[in-house]
Amino acid sequence: MCAHVSFVLEMFCETLRMIYLGCFLLLCGLTHVMASYPIWWSLAVGHQYSSLGTQPILCGSIPGLVPKQLRFCRNYVEIMPSVAEGVKIGIQECQHQFRGRRWNCTTVNDNLAIFGPVLDKATRESAFVHAIASAGVAFAVTRACAEGSATICGCDTRHKGPPGEGWKWGGCSEDVEFGSMVSREFADARENRPDARSAMNRHNNEAGRMSLNDNMFLKCKCHGLSGSCEVKTCWWSQPDFRVIGDYMKDKYDSASEMVVEKHKESRGWVETLRPKYNYFKPPTERDLVYYESSPNFCDPNPETGSFGTRDRICNLTSHGIDGCDLLCCGRGHNTRTERRKEKCHCIFHWCCYVSCQECVRVYDVHTCK
Amino acid sequence: MAGAIIENMSTKKLLLFGFFILVFQVFSILVGALIAPSPTSAIRYLATKCINRHRTRVWLMPWGSNRCQQVHSFDEPLAKILDANDIVFAVHVPLPNKEMSPWFHYMLAVLQFDIAFKMINQIEDDVIVTVDARLAYRDDLKSEWTTKFHSVEQRPLKCTFAVPKTYENEGRFYHCDPVPLMEMGSVAHKYFLLNLRLPVNDTMNVGIGEIKDIHIVGIHQNGGFTKVWMSMRTVFTPWISAATAWYWRRISIMARPPVLLEKVIFALGVSMTFLNVPVEWLSLGFEWTWMLLLEDAQQGAFYSALFCFWIVFCGEHLMDQSQRNRLSAYWWQVGLVVFGSSILLIFDLSERGVHLSNPFYSMWGSDFGTNVAFTFIIVAAISVCLYFFSLCRMVCCVFRNIGGKMQQLPAMPEARRLRYKGIIFRFKFLMLLTLVCAAMTVIFFILNQVSEGHWHWGDYTLQVHSAFLTGIYGMWNLYVFTIIFLYAPSHKRGRSKSADGQHADMTEKPESQETQLTCGEQGPTEAYRITGKVAEE
Repeated sequence: MCAHVSFVLEMFCETLRMIYLGCFLLLCGLTHVMASYPIWWSLAVGHQYSSLGTQPILCGSIPGLVPKQLRFCRNYVEIMPSVAEGVKIGIQECQHQFRGRRWNCTTVNDNLAIFGPVLDKATRESAFVHAIASAGVAFAVTRACAEGSATICGCDTRHKGPPGEGWKWGGCSEDVEFGSMVSREFADARENRPDARSAMNRHNNEAGRMSLNDNMFLKCKCHGLSGSCEVKTCWWSQPDFRVIGDYMKDKYDSASEMVVEKHKESRGWVETLRPKYNYFKPPTERDLVYYESSPNFCDPNPETGSFGTRDRICNLTSHGIDGCDLLCCGRGHNTRTERRKEKCHCIFHWCCYVSCQECVRVYDVHTCK
Repeated sequence: MAGAIIENMSTKKLLLFGFFILVFQVFSILVGALIAPSPTSAIRYLATKCINRHRTRVWLMPWGSNRCQQVHSFDEPLAKILDANDIVFAVHVPLPNKEMSPWFHYMLAVLQFDIAFKMINQIEDDVIVTVDARLAYRDDLKSEWTTKFHSVEQRPLKCTFAVPKTYENEGRFYHCDPVPLMEMGSVAHKYFLLNLRLPVNDTMNVGIGEIKDIHIVGIHQNGGFTKVWMSMRTVFTPWISAATAWYWRRISIMARPPVLLEKVIFALGVSMTFLNVPVEWLSLGFEWTWMLLLEDAQQGAFYSALFCFWIVFCGEHLMDQSQRNRLSAYWWQVGLVVFGSSILLIFDLSERGVHLSNPFYSMWGSDFGTNVAFTFIIVAAISVCLYFFSLCRMVCCVFRNIGGKMQQLPAMPEARRLRYKGIIFRFKFLMLLTLVCAAMTVIFFILNQVSEGHWHWGDYTLQVHSAFLTGIYGMWNLYVFTIIFLYAPSHKRGRSKSADGQHADMTEKPESQETQLTCGEQGPTEAYRITGKVAEE
């Protein structure tokens, strides 16, 4: 949170008035950080992450955990590196999917709120990042389970048979159920307030996990008499995370706008979400929902967290959002020529060893004004 | 084959018997659906990428106290300075906190590659991946690993890329077919360790794309299923063998030598017993890797006997004048069965037989092997098709003759009419039974292929695949039992005959004589001469 403030201070340290604003934001920030998006995502970026593999995680040192998450962390400390890894691949995928857009999923390194204030509002972007991060956590935990690096995974005793003999009697359940469970328990732990933002985050987190389940694919092997399909064994495989990213991006483009409704219930006021437009199909549990409109991200704005699109590289030939017209918001673009040394005529061996020649190529680089 | 129990049994008793069989059939399905777990388990392991700079032959553990030095992904800076030959993919079977058990019966391993698309490093067409695979075992967590097998294997890599191959799509994964890696016929140890390398030189493992990860899928039979399966076999073994012995006693106390059909039914009972014998009980105690081979041989022997039985049964009910009652009369069809099953046996021996000494071996690894395997399978399939074609022709023939005889029936003398009715009834009954069994097998097989592993029905989870296996297994056992029982010679005298207080054997002789006589109307057949001669003695 202090870093959040220092980020604000950096931007506005010239005038006293701005410092007052900073103090104001600090006060807001106290409630704001709790209300918007998870601070513990910062595990996934910067120096914190790099030490994950080598040192044991101190749960107390992870910023922004609510008590339930802290308890979870202490109980299952061995899967915490996978949780962090999951958020990281989620963010990487976000940056890939949004690479040519005005908002390109930028993270800031010097702040615990790794996206800055962008995700404080309940926008489409918030919906996407929550979904992809929760899918990422489920994905990475499932992976870690398959690698054997976490010992508490899967293999519940759902199957019949004498207790304790579940594995020998009927094998294990799919690991992906465990991954989703971890994501649900951990990522949703802070989204238990009765306000609209919590409801939205819960919905989008679940949509992310569902997208992972929906995109699992089945592979089979026949091994009956002489290799016939009399006996066939199938297993679910996780797709590569890009598939999840593409799927979520579609969901981002078709996300449903909602309005907040307040109900009086026994525990007080409860906010729920209702589709804004009745003539559209209501969102399913697989769709993303949001209830605030996004800023246009054209100009830098510390309040919305927009970095603007100045100096962003644009694509001259494209008529889409990554084209120079749209990306630069009509401000025009600069062009410069770059000579790049590139590897070419490479001979690859599968892992690490590449023998290449070096070629020089000349590129025109267009950047927004 | 005259005067079988089925003809002399009252309708009431026959229905009772049918009900009894049906109860056991339902029971054998329910055992699979409710008690047994799914037949097999597939566990996905993600191989840990260990670094072995000195390229020593040490065993590298993916996790635990003495885990190897590892790279998380090949994009890491550390990985950039490595040589491909330094990387060892390590997989410990099973996952932590679990152990394997002899009840798992067999263990297969399948490779699944995660290969990312890169414009400048694409997978070439018809590429072969070379895997240096080693397997070790130990029985407690403390002791050293004991090397079990080591082999360098080649496998074709079949991958497709669904989206256009552009820079945009770099980083997406190819869809690769699972590559069979290993097949072990027994699980005699608690822990296994697989260490794989993809050795690289100028010609080996070039053009296989950018492998990001290797998944290994371990498949084994579930312990619970093994228990249920073996219990079923243990129940059926004494049952069918007793029925077979009883049948042979019935045959042998007759004064005439057994006719071909009776011998074939006896052979069917013997092959069923051979299929039933639960040798696996012994494999729990011993490391018998040839168990899978034996099971295939058992099944093969049963199918061959069944096919021979069908053809002989049809032939003996053909009601024409040609000479039969010799196996050589069916040389064409029986030859097809023997030829087809021995082709499959050779195929099995050259795949599973070699697995005894090298579980990593695969016939499909080389072009030559693939061609040979395909040839075997196609030849076997052709001979099976030819067999079924000639079986169908024979069945049609029988039905045509039955139609003809049905028209003549009213004009026939009483005794002969009853004999013909007997033959027709026997044949139709078996046709019906066989068709029902075959249809059930096909329906179950299709259900098994299209359905998910389990259905939920109220609070119960029905294991479809287990129900299929136990149901089909029970069904063919009951089929054989029904045939042995109903087609055994009857002690009762035929209702058409009036005989009083004669010994059962005595009534048998005139009956068989009568039957054979009516089968060959125009003149005595070989069978008639035999049975007739016997009758005179």
